[in-house]
Amino acid sequence: MTSGVGVKARLLEWLDARTSFRTARHVLLDEEIPAGTGWVFTLGSVLLALISIQLLTGAFLTLYYAPTPDHAYESVRFISSSPSGRLVRGLHHFGASFLVVFLVLHLLRVVVLGSYKPPREITWLSGLALLGLVLGFALTGYLLPWDQRAYWATVVTINISRLAPMAGDAMAAVLQGGSTIGALTLTRWYSAHVIFLPALLVGLIVAHLVLMRLQGSSGPVRPKRGAPFPFYPYQAFRDTVVVSIVLLAVVAMAWRGMPPLEGPADPTDANYIPRPEWYFLGLFQLLKYFPGKWEVVGAIVLPGVVAAFLALLPWIDRGPERDPRRRPFIMATVLIGLLAVVGLTTLGWRDRPIAVSADQWTLREIGGRSIAGYSGCAKCHADTGLADPLESIALSRGAEWVSGHVTDPEMIAPGLREPPAARSEREIAAIVAYVRRVSRQPYPGYPANVEVAATVWARYCVGCHIIDGDGGKDGPELSHAGVKDGKQQDVATIRTWIVDPEAIDPLADMPSFGKRLTPEQLDAIAGYLMSRK
Amino acid sequence: MPTPAVSSHEPGRRKTLALLVNTAVAVIGGAFSALLGVFAVRPVRAAPTERWIRAGTLGDLTPNVPVPRVLAVPRADGWYRARARETVFLVWDGAKQVKVFSATCSHLGCQVLWDAEAKKFRCPCHGGVYDSSGQVLEGPPPRPLTTIEARVDGTDETVLVRV
Repeated sequence: MTSGVGVKARLLEWLDARTSFRTARHVLLDEEIPAGTGWVFTLGSVLLALISIQLLTGAFLTLYYAPTPDHAYESVRFISSSPSGRLVRGLHHFGASFLVVFLVLHLLRVVVLGSYKPPREITWLSGLALLGLVLGFALTGYLLPWDQRAYWATVVTINISRLAPMAGDAMAAVLQGGSTIGALTLTRWYSAHVIFLPALLVGLIVAHLVLMRLQGSSGPVRPKRGAPFPFYPYQAFRDTVVVSIVLLAVVAMAWRGMPPLEGPADPTDANYIPRPEWYFLGLFQLLKYFPGKWEVVGAIVLPGVVAAFLALLPWIDRGPERDPRRRPFIMATVLIGLLAVVGLTTLGWRDRPIAVSADQWTLREIGGRSIAGYSGCAKCHADTGLADPLESIALSRGAEWVSGHVTDPEMIAPGLREPPAARSEREIAAIVAYVRRVSRQPYPGYPANVEVAATVWARYCVGCHIIDGDGGKDGPELSHAGVKDGKQQDVATIRTWIVDPEAIDPLADMPSFGKRLTPEQLDAIAGYLMSRK
Repeated sequence: MPTPAVSSHEPGRRKTLALLVNTAVAVIGGAFSALLGVFAVRPVRAAPTERWIRAGTLGDLTPNVPVPRVLAVPRADGWYRARARETVFLVWDGAKQVKVFSATCSHLGCQVLWDAEAKKFRCPCHGGVYDSSGQVLEGPPPRPLTTIEARVDGTDETVLVRV
């Protein structure tokens, strides 16, 4: 065995003579840490670990992701269709949130302990630049799934950039790439997200770490007695404990929660209310307080003032004192800023539109199901047909494509389709609504009379009336048609309204539907409207 | 945690901490490598799905005359849904049986044509000739034309082929 040890030692000697790996190990691990440096100094390592996770999972996600409007959404859904893919995408998604949280904690640690003081001003500035870069990652990465929230959040982002003084339009043009938000926007945000920003990020991290090592860890605010200790294994142990806990939390979230993927991006959807990722909710909320021409204050000026304050902090807070208790002005300012951010984020979080229960199908969607049923879709969309049954299609097309597909037999697979029966615009809209809904959520099942009423609604009423936010505005809203002037309406009256409006109101604009509906249909729609309270 | 004194005073503690750190790093690294490895080599999902698709009805066919049909065969390729076009010949026996041949020559993959006068399939590339039941008559083809499973579905006499 002695000869074995001898061989190993000689081999390492040989390797060290050529690579100096022992010196590298010494430089990396034996950094001297000032006595008294504790657990709060682990946050930088947590960030390094989280950034590594982002780089790794991000690199692997590109194995399957396709940055084109036609396929981005489907490719993301494909990634999410396997357990490993769900986990990798989950780590990337939730890891980004953790990254933002720990960046802020790290920044607060540096501010509270005055670690930005000379000679560490440049380290501080490089850290701020890293924060900006990470937010750039968040912004560009948000678009890539090409779902509704991605698309609409990007619309808002690009419009905000227009507010920038002087260069606003030029900036928006650069961000957008093409004449609309589309293929060219997606490819350039993708390039930024996976090539340009990562290159900058890695360069800046290296600079940040080299600067940190040159000046050494700032350590406790007052030097403690005792000799400095080596990073490995003492501080490394603290780092490992905290990093492990944080990574476990990220894995747990990725394991439990599917990262959101809404319906595919649809530029024609007028009802979608975009909301940003939670860490931009503060800015989102701020915008609401500055309407009209003052918007630029909330969008550009205030965030700019905060950024400038942070950048100038080492020159605002001069003097060697690092103890937070002796820097009340800086502490108070930062605390107020922090409370403002937390407050705005909370307000933004709470201030969400009251949507109709997300699981509830609209009447149009329910009606679209019956209309699709009698329109011959199943000739091709069947288990034995050319295409998958409607219920099992993972739809990734926008509403316009679907309506084109329903209307025009030659649009897809020319010559293979039997022309569908001619349909009215409203019937087509209902089929489109149904198909888009059923690809997200299986049909929950509604009573037969509701289905009949929904079909009538989707074919006729929806042109002029609104129920639950969906419909036309020419006639009165019917969300509460069952009650008029505080009194319960009876079926007969509602039925008469539909059959012959002029019998009740000689000036009614509404056409008579008596001849267009069967008695069963009339009963169903009148009964349904009566039940709306 | 008390401030560790100079390491040489406590070699035991130093060793334990180093072991813990190394183990944790190895476990984390191993777990992530395993996950990313599985993700990267994720096998193509299931076998390519086969399905019965409609190729026409008996009404479109003439007994014992091969009729070409172009099928658009849906093929899943990860997230990409391609539609492979495939030409087949349907041969109806006049009763309830339909034989279906692939139009792809078994020699080098050209598409054969039906010569109605000679009642033979001819390959335009290298002179392969098949009879109406797909057997090789002349030329280089090593095998008969590939037969595709087919059935006639009840009431409306739809011809379904398995692709």
